[in-house]
Amino acid sequence: MLSYHFDWSIILSGTYFDWLVSGLKVTLWLSASGILLSFLLGLCVAVMRMSHIAPVRWVAQLFLEVTRNTPLLVQIFFWYFGSYKLLPTDLNDWLNNHNFEFVAALAALTIYTSAFIAEDIRSGVLSIPKEQLEAARSAGFSYLRSMQYIILPQAVRITIPPLVNQFLNLAKNSSLAMTIGVMELTYQARQVESYTFKGFEAFTAATVVYLALSVVITFLVDQYNNRVLKLHKAS
Amino acid sequence: MIQCKGVHKWFKDLHVLNDINLQVTKGEVLVVCGPSGSGKSTLIRTINKLEPINEGTIIVDGMDLADRKTDINKLRAEVGFVFQQFNLYPHLSVMNNITLAPRKIRKTPRREAEEQAMQLLARVGLAEKHAAYPSQLSGGQQQRVAIARALAMNPRIMLFDEPTSALDPEMIGEVLSVMQDLARSGMTMMVVTHEMGFAREVANRVIFMDAGTILEEAPPAQFFRTPQHDRARQFLNQLLTPMHGASTTAAA
Ligand SMILES: Nc1ncnc2c1ncn2[C@@H]1O[C@H](COP(=O)(O)OP(=O)(O)OP(=O)(O)O)[C@@H](O)[C@H]1O
Ligand SMILES: [Mg+2]
Repeated sequence: MLSYHFDWSIILSGTYFDWLVSGLKVTLWLSASGILLSFLLGLCVAVMRMSHIAPVRWVAQLFLEVTRNTPLLVQIFFWYFGSYKLLPTDLNDWLNNHNFEFVAALAALTIYTSAFIAEDIRSGVLSIPKEQLEAARSAGFSYLRSMQYIILPQAVRITIPPLVNQFLNLAKNSSLAMTIGVMELTYQARQVESYTFKGFEAFTAATVVYLALSVVITFLVDQYNNRVLKLHKAS
Repeated sequence: MIQCKGVHKWFKDLHVLNDINLQVTKGEVLVVCGPSGSGKSTLIRTINKLEPINEGTIIVDGMDLADRKTDINKLRAEVGFVFQQFNLYPHLSVMNNITLAPRKIRKTPRREAEEQAMQLLARVGLAEKHAAYPSQLSGGQQQRVAIARALAMNPRIMLFDEPTSALDPEMIGEVLSVMQDLARSGMTMMVVTHEMGFAREVANRVIFMDAGTILEEAPPAQFFRTPQHDRARQFLNQLLTPMHGASTTAAA
């Protein structure tokens, strides 16, 4: 090991740098769309989980049990290797021509993360006084509209710290997408390593980028949160 | 406008509403009073179906609450409800608290809804507070915003559940005077309150509840001068003890 020559220049410019950048782009796309979609899906599942219609509640509960209690890697493989058996041929053809690995990874990450987000949001909703729902209902809002305009906006605000955690998990978990050939950051770092044998440099670079990504996500959510909180002061 | 016939309600074994019969006609103000736990809140909450009933009929503005064809959201939009604890939406400004329901339910354009909100705020004496958030307002101010919020739907009936009992004494007057103006403008109102000054001035009739039943129903003058039941007499005497004195005179 003492004879190992550090060579940072090789990954900081030229082809290998370009590989890492293209990997970063995919990671960013995967994380950003995953965060957005898992948040929306998480909201839906949270509302279904609290529905007064029992079968809707059961569906949500089944979804939560299955997604939270199976490894993410298995879910990624399921969507990649298993899902096309369920989908219509036309859709399969379309997907195969449109980066199916990416879609499968995004589906798995979204679904997996949404389960955790749903539970966080649900505990947020439970901490909103029931009088808020009564006020909304007595104004003539339906249950779902009350959720949309009055309960969820308040619940999400107090749920922000755990949500940030889920978003960070999603960004980090996106590295598992390499197992099905999504050319994201970890995949590209691996490529660089196998072409150059500069594994230390390649994965250090990847580490730094993931770290930076986490810092950026935390910062963005904090900014949003501060803006909102400033608007709505106290309470 | 409101009609209750043979209404019964139980919470498990507790018979909270026992054969309630009452009627409120258009433009009338009905005050409901009675000791704590007598079922006043439960009763007023049944009128817009916040509480379901077990037996009997309630007809509000011509719509039978038990009828499957009655659109309960539509009915609630026609009936304003003011809570003891105000229950403003803490994440929305005063303006948005007032305009949310008109904009989303009545589909009123934002500008129009905001103009109407400004008029309502002026009416409750809070025009300058339109941009404030509920946490920045006093209790009395919050309750006046809550009244404006209910009025923004142009309700045909207003229900009040002890609108002043969570307020500091010095703020009770400002809320009562808004309610008094509202009554003068011809609004049909049902008000649960212990503010006997308000009842005397504004009510057409007073209902006295005890243990889930209506013990007495009379015009205020008669109710206050010659209550028929011991329970009612006791209740009135208690209200007139010095502890409550400050608030009972506030409406004058
Ligand atoms: N959701 C509920 N579940 C069980 N019991 C209830 C519920 N709500 C009210 N009660 C009980 O029903 C009775 C009537 O309550 P209600 O709130 O209608 O009384 P009230 O006349 O409004 O009293 P107060 O003057 O204290 O507001 C009380 O004994 C109360 O404990
Ligand atoms: Mg009460």
